[in-house]
Amino acid sequence: MAASRDGRMRMTVLGGYLGSGKTTWLRHQLYHGQFKDAFVIVNEAAETPVDDAVLRVAQKLAVLAGGCVCCQARSELVSLLRGVCDARSGLDSSGERLQRIVLETSGLADPGPIVEAVRGDSVLVHHIVVSEIIVAVDALNALQQLRSEPLGRAQVEVADRLVVTKIDAAQVAALTRLLATLRRLNPGAMISGTARGSAGGLPAYDDADPEPLPEPPAEAGRSPIFATRLVLDPTIDWTAFSVWLSALLHARGDDVLRVKGVVRTPAGRLLLQGVRKTVQSPEILPEQKERVDNVMVVIGRGYSAEDLRRSLQYFATAGRT
Amino acid sequence: MCASCGYPAAPGHWTDAGVADPGERLRARFRRARVLNAVLRAYGLTAHDGGLIPGVQIATLSGAQAIVDDLAGVWVAAERLAGMPVDPLDARFLGAGGEAP
Repeated sequence: MAASRDGRMRMTVLGGYLGSGKTTWLRHQLYHGQFKDAFVIVNEAAETPVDDAVLRVAQKLAVLAGGCVCCQARSELVSLLRGVCDARSGLDSSGERLQRIVLETSGLADPGPIVEAVRGDSVLVHHIVVSEIIVAVDALNALQQLRSEPLGRAQVEVADRLVVTKIDAAQVAALTRLLATLRRLNPGAMISGTARGSAGGLPAYDDADPEPLPEPPAEAGRSPIFATRLVLDPTIDWTAFSVWLSALLHARGDDVLRVKGVVRTPAGRLLLQGVRKTVQSPEILPEQKERVDNVMVVIGRGYSAEDLRRSLQYFATAGRT
Repeated sequence: MCASCGYPAAPGHWTDAGVADPGERLRARFRRARVLNAVLRAYGLTAHDGGLIPGVQIATLSGAQAIVDDLAGVWVAAERLAGMPVDPLDARFLGAGGEAP
């Protein structure tokens, strides 16, 4: 992929709501040689990164965990990008210079302020040009998110390219309605479909009616979305944990927006990922000795972190006597 | 995942993914029934898994019952039989743990 004519690096911003399939899509692209030689930056709102475990195919990878780069971790992003620019400037013209950066944002990020941060920084603006904003859209959950989450709408509206994920699992009628809604929200964006990372064809949606979207509810009156880190200590076995998590997602699936983590079990290291009430079949990850496992990240609202921990502890000791 | 870039996924319902060995799987089913009993007791329900046939049996004290395939089904059946939501963040589950009130 060529650099821009002025010699600046191109930056692709990959956004999308919690659990929309950003990492799965990126992993597939990297595996098939897209974004070759790019410097990949993964941002996670929670302190415990998970996505880097599945993005090992990237040659150059940095993780910014513990804050969203569109707001509280923006200065960390700027400082990381400045470091990348410095390293690149240190190479003479015969060296292989970095041409592209891919930033995978957290699901809670609005790509708009990120682009502004790069454009507004006196150093970065001379080295980096944001070439494309790609936003992953979850075919199963996006309509609900667009109705209720102003952030979901903001992400769609700023995209140059919308990648509709999980199209193999969606009903055709719901999918065409979503596509028509996306077209109305962002008429200029290119729309494509994927299933489990691979490109897939989309149904015709010219005749479909878009979802009538109400005014987004004001964020002011709602409790904020936050990330909770749950450490699964040795007293919490898989059985108790799976009973607890299945109960939690059943009862609180509208509030628990995202669950992810790597759990060490007798059947191997399981990558557990949930979006609202749906948990996908866990992938069995290879051994990575340097990683800390048995930490789950739960992102949502309408409950307290302490209640999650106490409830999990209750289930872990239930039935032992 | 696509066939080449992902890792293999555990088959079956996700809650069954943590146990691979058949003997361990049977032990896990018995343990799961004990955990469920401790939790569902608060709602006047019992859970039974004899290990011989697939599924978990959820029953009320008056004898109404349902047999479900997996944990997702357990919570749907439990709510229906109990006539109220089953919420793990309910105050009754936020105590020290282990014994239902």
